[in-house]
Amino acid sequence: MSLPQSLQTSVTPPELELIASQQLIEIIPLIAMEKTAFISGAFGPLQPPRKAQIPLWMAINLKLKKKCHIVAPEWLSVEFLQSRLDEEVSDLGFSMLPFRYAEISKVLLDVAPDDIQNIDKIRSLLKDLREARQAKSREGLDQLNREELSLSNLCSMEINEIRPFFVHAMGILTHLHRDASTEDQL
Amino acid sequence: MASASASASTRVVPIAPIYDEQEDNDTPLSQLTRHWMNERHAPDILPAQEELLSSLLDHIRRQSEAVQSLRGEPSASEEDHIRIMLVQMEVERVKFIVRSYVRTRLFKVEKFARFIMTDETIQARITMAERAHASRHAHLTDRHFHNVVLQSLPETQSHLDDTPIFMPPMITKPDETRAVFVHALRDCPPLRFHDKTLEMKRGHISLMPFSFIQTLLLRGDVELL
Repeated sequence: MSLPQSLQTSVTPPELELIASQQLIEIIPLIAMEKTAFISGAFGPLQPPRKAQIPLWMAINLKLKKKCHIVAPEWLSVEFLQSRLDEEVSDLGFSMLPFRYAEISKVLLDVAPDDIQNIDKIRSLLKDLREARQAKSREGLDQLNREELSLSNLCSMEINEIRPFFVHAMGILTHLHRDASTEDQL
Repeated sequence: MASASASASTRVVPIAPIYDEQEDNDTPLSQLTRHWMNERHAPDILPAQEELLSSLLDHIRRQSEAVQSLRGEPSASEEDHIRIMLVQMEVERVKFIVRSYVRTRLFKVEKFARFIMTDETIQARITMAERAHASRHAHLTDRHFHNVVLQSLPETQSHLDDTPIFMPPMITKPDETRAVFVHALRDCPPLRFHDKTLEMKRGHISLMPFSFIQTLLLRGDVELL
């Protein structure tokens, strides 16, 4: 089989993580490195303790070897997440979060817990946000019709989560409509 | 929504990459990543990206050669080793994306092999190699079915391309009504639906049948998520 069954209908969370890891993040290097040409662009030079921007996957790798500290992105902070959570609870729409926040925050919490302040609070805020948003996307199912459903500000991982069910549901609605209209013609 | 997001991100400066981060920085790799995801989500086969793919394959080869030559140097320091390892790791990541992209297309080519043989518009979208593969695959399965079952059936039931009434046709076609998640990369011209029109602004995300956004996707106005 050219594409395993499990990959035929959707993408997997590790694949989404792979894509998210292309994004740049700031680090404080603990080793020096000359400017180096990569396929995704040139990165470096690294000169401790000067901050530098490199792709997340590179930062993770260096972090695991204890060769850098990761500077947590601004949005991975108690104030920011708390304000988004408040918005999430009070507003009808989805609050605006970085598109790949779920993947990036998971990786950072796993790999660099010592570089993030108030980590326990952040963990619980992320969990609350996730649950609040999940509830909203389930409610969105109400508005599903056969033509279009707007889902602005929904994030990559959340889309992937609702995909099988929503796509299937829309397919059924399309079928029902098609059957009804062919019956009209008969 | 797009204008709101723009003003929000200028107001809250430190959270700069709030939405789609590396859009301006459109490298061949990020283009391929986008084509990979589009291909994974689209029910139909999308136009082949031969030039992009071959330029990336070239790049992979150059990087691997550079790693090989650096490895041979005995004077390499620890820092050099880390550089070599990072370059190599990236090569593996890119290879993964390339493979997955090609395999996704291969999967669709096999699935729609018989349809590809009969339809010229889809033939124009795939590479020579893919066309050859589709043709071989269609012939092999035809011959196999014929040898195993069809030759012993009465003539009226021994075809593989019937379109019986009240039944789906026997040739598998891409289901263009399947819903996909679309993300507008720039402001799009209005889309007309049965009971409304929708003007997707940059950053808008929607779930809708593939057929509605097919042209926008080919123009690169939207991507699939």
